[in-house]
Amino acid sequence: MSTTTSPPAPAPLSTTHHLLPLATCTPPSTARTWQTAPHPHLPLLATACADRTVRVYSLSNFALATTISGGHKRSVRALAWKPASRGASTLATGSFDASAGIWRKWEGGAGGDATSSDDFTHSHKTDEDEEEEEEEYNFASILDGHDSEIKSVAWSASGQYLATCSRDKSVWIWEELEDDDSFETVAVLQEHEADVKCVAWHPESDVLASASYDDTVRIYREDVDDWAQVARLEGHGKTVWWVEFEGSGMGRVLEAGVDGREGRRKVLEERERAGPRLLSASDDCTVRIWRKVVKEEEGGGQGTAGGVPSIFRKSIEEEWVTEAVLPLRHDRAIYAASWSRRSGMIVSTGSDGRIVVYKEQWKANEPKGVEKPVGVEGNEAATLTEWVVVAEIEGAHDVFEINHVCWAKRYDKGKRSEDEEVIVSTGDDGEVKVWTLEEVSSNNGGA
Amino acid sequence: MDPDKDNANPTILNPSDLPSRRANASLKKRDDGGTGLFDHLIPAYTYLNDPFDAPASASDSDDDVVEDIDEQEIYDLISTISDPEHPLSLGSLAVVNLPDIRILPPTTLKSPISTVVVEITPTITHCSLATVIGLGVRVRLEQALPPRFRVDVRIKKGTHSTDEAVNKQLGDKERVAAALENGTLMGVLRKMLATCE
Repeated sequence: MSTTTSPPAPAPLSTTHHLLPLATCTPPSTARTWQTAPHPHLPLLATACADRTVRVYSLSNFALATTISGGHKRSVRALAWKPASRGASTLATGSFDASAGIWRKWEGGAGGDATSSDDFTHSHKTDEDEEEEEEEYNFASILDGHDSEIKSVAWSASGQYLATCSRDKSVWIWEELEDDDSFETVAVLQEHEADVKCVAWHPESDVLASASYDDTVRIYREDVDDWAQVARLEGHGKTVWWVEFEGSGMGRVLEAGVDGREGRRKVLEERERAGPRLLSASDDCTVRIWRKVVKEEEGGGQGTAGGVPSIFRKSIEEEWVTEAVLPLRHDRAIYAASWSRRSGMIVSTGSDGRIVVYKEQWKANEPKGVEKPVGVEGNEAATLTEWVVVAEIEGAHDVFEINHVCWAKRYDKGKRSEDEEVIVSTGDDGEVKVWTLEEVSSNNGGA
Repeated sequence: MDPDKDNANPTILNPSDLPSRRANASLKKRDDGGTGLFDHLIPAYTYLNDPFDAPASASDSDDDVVEDIDEQEIYDLISTISDPEHPLSLGSLAVVNLPDIRILPPTTLKSPISTVVVEITPTITHCSLATVIGLGVRVRLEQALPPRFRVDVRIKKGTHSTDEAVNKQLGDKERVAAALENGTLMGVLRKMLATCE
């Protein structure tokens, strides 16, 4: 190399928060770890490992609670805890072996005081003749159908449906049959033109989103008896690695303010009508926020804005637009981004080993008719609010790539409030790290 | 020659024409006009402005010392890979070439991550094995280089009919990871990499 051109480094930030390492789960995996999912109501994390196992760590002391093995023949790529399943913990896993597994463990005592039972020694409920197996997650079911590697699995908010997606370009929706641990295929969606990387459900209704190697995001919902694509979201320039819906009611995190400015109130009202937004993270180094366009006729009888009067039934097509592109802080593929269900903040991570936290706020100076950011369409929120970086850390997993990041409830002794959250990152180094987000005291703001 | 091969008559470079450290060193001597007596005392690498190449004394653990790695070393690691259809190395087939290897320094002062970009030149524009060759290069470098390097392997622009598609595939970590769990493909890769030291 003859010349050393200085790279276009992102400008230094004066951030309002610090990301501080709280713990690394021990012992780490010796193989790559792909994804970590916090249990819906117990202080547990489950981590998908390339060594074909799932590692379950305690969020109270960050120690390995159990390892689930013997099910998959190749890397476990993805996993998801079934929500709303009191009395039993149910975990779905997706593997490069093209199968999905369902694992179940009866919870000791009852789900009621579950938050304090981070060990399972007082388990009374036994599954017939399996009293020896109480400590274990039992293999309950295997879902076969995909032709190649499964990349992502997700349960619908009610737990009724499980979605899986694969390199075979398809998204499958499964429904658990009553009483016998078997699953029925309710839909095979084949709209994508290439690998489907990620699936995610809407937090309130049975609406599914998927992201793909074909650079698009698709939205599906059930129409009469069939699941169908209702929107195709284009905007990313490369593979979309991750999609996730905003938490329920998170549009209210921003407040119009005491002086209740008209524009702001309108933004919040519109947001309320549109429902939870969607984020997508891509190899093109951007995170996009998408918003559903509320049709004027919504609820009314007539056709759509596009005007297809010959259709009697209301069209199920939806229009989603990019509302914002988060500040560009990554210079390699972004593998995951996650929306806090408590604060509405977003955390992102990827190949560059950075973890970045963003917050939405009202712009200090409301612009008057200024141009909107490129590729951002419609709606006033795009001009009245902005996303800012509140914290950032470089090399969060030393020199390794980070495959996943998410928010989890804090359970360890240092917890400062009932609803405090931590950030959990999962890396190529086999480590699962837990971070706290600390506000920088105002007198030494920024670094 | 096997008629099934994509390119039955590839151009083969003479081993003495291939880039090597020795050739560079002699060139340098002449440029300097010096005796060359002290050349071996001067680091051969040109990465002194890499902020992560801080003097070893700055850290007390050997593990923290970042070793210099230059394009020639990258070339040496991958030029010995065998072509999947000829009993020849990627270097001698000019599939990998020293000028098509670049090392990019970290993008920020705090970032520990450097990037190696290798552009490969398939022997013919429709070579169906381009993906496998690219995968072999990526795997070889990921195994041989310290993990602080990100490895980007691409098809040199204009040298392949589907270079964009191949590039996208080679850049997809998940696909690469899954490919490495595929026994048949791994068999091919092992054979290609068997000629590397």
